[in-house]
Amino acid sequence: MNSVRIWYKKSGLVIYTSHLDMNRCFTRAVRRADIPLWYTEGFNPHPYLNFLLPLPLGQSGEKEPIDIKIEEDIPLDEIGRRLNSVLPDGLEIVAVTSPVNKVNEITEARYIIDIEFASGSEAEGFASGAAAVIESGVLNAEKRSKRGIQTVNLCEFTGDFSVSYAENRVRIDTCLATGTQRNLNASLLVDSLLGEFGAQPEKVSIARKEIYTANKKIFE
Amino acid sequence: MYPKEIEKYLLKVQKPGRYVGGELNSVVKDRGSVDISYAFCFPDTYEIGMSHLGMKILYSLVNARDDARCERVFAPDTDMEEIMRREKIPLWALESGEPVKDFDLIGFTLQYELCYTNVLNMLDLAGLPVRSADRESLTPLVIAGGTCVCNAEPMADFFDITLPGDGEEVTNELIDLLKEYKAKGATKREFLIAAAQIPGVYVPSLYEVEYNEDCTVKSVTPTCGAPGKVIKRNVADLDTMFAPESFVVPYLESVFDRTTVEIFRGCIRGCRFCQAGFLSRPLREKSPAEVERQCRAICESSGYDEISLCSLSTSDYRGLPELLSSMLPWADENKINVALPSLRIDNFPKELMDKLNTVRRSGLTFAPEAGTQRLRDVINKNIYEKDILSTVAQAFAGGWTAVKLYFMIGLPTETKEDIEGIANLAQAVVDEFYHCENKPKGKSVSVNISLASLVPKPFTPFQWEAQDKPDVLIEKQDYLLSCIKTRKVQLSRHVPWTSFLEGVFARGDRRLGKVIETAWRKGCHFDSWEEHLDREKWTASFEECGIDPFFYTARERDLEEIMPWDHMDYGVTKKFLQKEYLKAHKGETTPSCREKCSNCGAARLNGGVCNEFRKDMV
Repeated sequence: MNSVRIWYKKSGLVIYTSHLDMNRCFTRAVRRADIPLWYTEGFNPHPYLNFLLPLPLGQSGEKEPIDIKIEEDIPLDEIGRRLNSVLPDGLEIVAVTSPVNKVNEITEARYIIDIEFASGSEAEGFASGAAAVIESGVLNAEKRSKRGIQTVNLCEFTGDFSVSYAENRVRIDTCLATGTQRNLNASLLVDSLLGEFGAQPEKVSIARKEIYTANKKIFE
Repeated sequence: MYPKEIEKYLLKVQKPGRYVGGELNSVVKDRGSVDISYAFCFPDTYEIGMSHLGMKILYSLVNARDDARCERVFAPDTDMEEIMRREKIPLWALESGEPVKDFDLIGFTLQYELCYTNVLNMLDLAGLPVRSADRESLTPLVIAGGTCVCNAEPMADFFDITLPGDGEEVTNELIDLLKEYKAKGATKREFLIAAAQIPGVYVPSLYEVEYNEDCTVKSVTPTCGAPGKVIKRNVADLDTMFAPESFVVPYLESVFDRTTVEIFRGCIRGCRFCQAGFLSRPLREKSPAEVERQCRAICESSGYDEISLCSLSTSDYRGLPELLSSMLPWADENKINVALPSLRIDNFPKELMDKLNTVRRSGLTFAPEAGTQRLRDVINKNIYEKDILSTVAQAFAGGWTAVKLYFMIGLPTETKEDIEGIANLAQAVVDEFYHCENKPKGKSVSVNISLASLVPKPFTPFQWEAQDKPDVLIEKQDYLLSCIKTRKVQLSRHVPWTSFLEGVFARGDRRLGKVIETAWRKGCHFDSWEEHLDREKWTASFEECGIDPFFYTARERDLEEIMPWDHMDYGVTKKFLQKEYLKAHKGETTPSCREKCSNCGAARLNGGVCNEFRKDMV
């Protein structure tokens, strides 16, 4: 039995597929690719396939990790090649590696958030407003967690934050707490910032770019 | 794909994956590369529609043509509908995101009567007039197929064409004809008159219906050379019939999240309440080798880990032992679960049960349908209590502890004893568990009664019967509940109001078109979902149109009465159905086709040959 970390890119129409549905989708893809997945040994055996950081509905990801266990030794690049030949549009394997870090070592991730407004003045106003809010260090929002709904200060979950705008578009480049211990969904940050100013964007796209362990080392 | 205007709302609705397309094996063709664009519409939500085998077959069939494309359309859920109406975004097809109204053919599949308002709603969301007469140009043509078109009369005002019977061949013929008429710039009327000459094509607007003073049908007269009887299409050979080898694999979990492969069409049983059994005669089997080939191909292209072998009565498939012994080792090796729905309780051999046990174990479901032998004889179910008990004993010995039993109430000649009989039979199954020496240790038994009510349907021997009114059915349900004395037996029942509406439309006539339109304009849709069904709006609609719904359900019909669907020919003759009706009332049974041919008349659709006795006669 071999542990393998596959890294996929999620973009296009597939971003509207939820985490649970992604799980089914990848299980089927692995079957189509004829990769001998290891099955759990219970009363109802199921294939072992673990999404380390499920992407929220509607967000794209550059390089997202899934851990699988396989029964035979197959060259890593062969696994990627086979999967890419059967995956639907919008899903692509970008790397296959042996796991280096453990999932609980993940601390942060970098997000690029593009927000499109109807006019340039709305974009300008929102960009300067958002920067000021983050600068102030206080952005309270209701956050769902295992302990129920709590009001938290989102700034405490936000690391680097830069915002720019061009014409009617605003781009936020930010690092947010991510992982099993502390986690902030980028949608919550965007919605709270928009809510502060009652802004009504035409379109919001959120992309997770990189995943880090402590001291901003790339998660491998 | 989706229209650009909807993008910003996608994350505001439940399950946006329903509206975007892009699934594995979906076929995207450019409009400019084809002559005919076909929008296949399923009048319910994505998850329900994506489980439907007919859609998968026709989707692949049309897309296999170079000159045509087929795209999928589903009914948007209420949250999405609200946005579409507010933002004036017309209904789109999932592959291209193009508006449905720009397609040449808009085809609906009618699987149940309670989807009729959804059809109107989808046409309206597409920006089209709902009535056929108000759509003047040749395209889009609105057509329909599926079980319910055996009596399309309640929907006659809305559809341009319906296609009774198997759709595989006639769909291609219709596309060919439309391509020709579109190219020469023909009018809609010219096309419809020509289309009516294709066998198995019904053009409702070419038939004039007259009524008697008592509201029954007086006559149905074809015009413009349309045939007096529209004979359903019948695909003779299932081995050479088009069958898809790749399915669109949804990301969202659909109702039946698995592959489905048909093993035969038709049914040798003559259960007198069962419309599907009579509509799909004569029996035509697919060879085990072909079934297995298709199963393997689909699993390879989809990655599904469950196959359902589909038919009306799986254990009647003569190739089953051969199929399972060659397929199960392969399925086992690839961790594929083989599901056999629709098993009969009287021919479920132990070897079959053992074989199924090797893969994952699902629940056991059987359908005695009625609680006493007398009533089972009336409905010609032809199974006996001893068969039921010996099969469940076998199942308990094999480790099963949960059994689901399907029953119906509201059956003709039903008495209180018959209803008590349901509780008694369930109790007997519980007792059988405790008598079983090899029962699973330390476990309890659970018997689930699923209780439906009879809706008499066209083309069955019960098409003349009165249907119980909802309040009577509720009384009967309550009585059954009072007869159940143990907590090991659970009863699941439903509100008979849906059965009532279903009954009205199943045996309805053209006068109901205005009721359906009125109810839809009042906001009725998704009527099959109990939480959406608005009883008051329906009652008001019947009243406004001056129509008594009980005329269609509670009235016992005369055997000689002209039925609104008599100009449809599904093979089985009216004379045979009348004979079966009379036998039902005498409690006489009719043997299965395998024991003895009862001359139902369906064989003539197959050139006089019925698979069943062809093999016996050689």
